[in-house]
Amino acid sequence: MNPLTTRAHHNKAHPLKNLPDERLIEDARNGNVHAFETLVKRYEQMVYGFSFKMCRNKEKADETLQDTFINVYKNLQQFNGNSKFSTWLYSIVTNNCLMNRRKRKMDQEMVSLDEPPVEEGAHHHGTIPSWEDTPAEKMMNTELRSRLDTSIQKLPQDYRVVFILRDIEGQSIEETAQILKLSIPAVKSRLRRARIFLREQLNDYMVQ
Amino acid sequence: MKKTQRHTLNCRSVYKHICENLDADIDSAKCRRIRAHIEECENCTAYLDSLKKTVYLYRAYPTPLVSTNAHKELIAKIPFATVSEKKRRSLG
Ligand SMILES: [Zn+2]
Repeated sequence: MNPLTTRAHHNKAHPLKNLPDERLIEDARNGNVHAFETLVKRYEQMVYGFSFKMCRNKEKADETLQDTFINVYKNLQQFNGNSKFSTWLYSIVTNNCLMNRRKRKMDQEMVSLDEPPVEEGAHHHGTIPSWEDTPAEKMMNTELRSRLDTSIQKLPQDYRVVFILRDIEGQSIEETAQILKLSIPAVKSRLRRARIFLREQLNDYMVQ
Repeated sequence: MKKTQRHTLNCRSVYKHICENLDADIDSAKCRRIRAHIEECENCTAYLDSLKKTVYLYRAYPTPLVSTNAHKELIAKIPFATVSEKKRRSLG
């Protein structure tokens, strides 16, 4: 290793964590290792959480986390500031998630969503118990978790990613469209089908 | 033929748009009609509620945290030297 390029670890407290993304990106581009580390700290949980929700597996999420920040570092010059850094980051994680998936050829029983899965008359089940009063921790038992995992894994990736970005991560419809390079009607249509599909998968949790 | 068919077909057209209603209240005539229907229709109210519950359950699913170890491994894998070396070369 070239001694000139070895990372120096300063113990001196850096005010870096108070700097805005744009400034850290600029500093990181100019070779400031600490600026990049600060960006990693700021966004690693978002990247890890998102990839975990996509692949429902901690090891794969770890792998995607590493691949993503390696790609971010290599492509930092390409970030043009026209979008939020988080939007750009999400698009890189998405690509890495999908690539890792293809690499492994792990797609399990996927369903086709070409036809909407709603059956006529399938929703005549009266009222639903007031689930809003039940704390999430009480509901979230092992059985329900595993049902949520298997249900979302049956959803094709293109639909799953829209559902996770919009409904779980709370990105706007517009941001989701930008991240996935889709039109807004396409995002809405996938979102609708994904929600309906997942709701059908959880049908027995709805009627009690 | 089911006697509820007229009603069901009406509900079906509501289902098509019901999801968008989960997002924003768009104040169009179409959305007002949909909202008016939902308010009066038990089936659609229950269905909308079940869609909200679906999203709620996925949101409530706990997300694991990045461990200190995973963070260290990640930092160790960033090719800091390579890129700054390139930059230094291109500058010099
Ligand atoms: Zn109805």
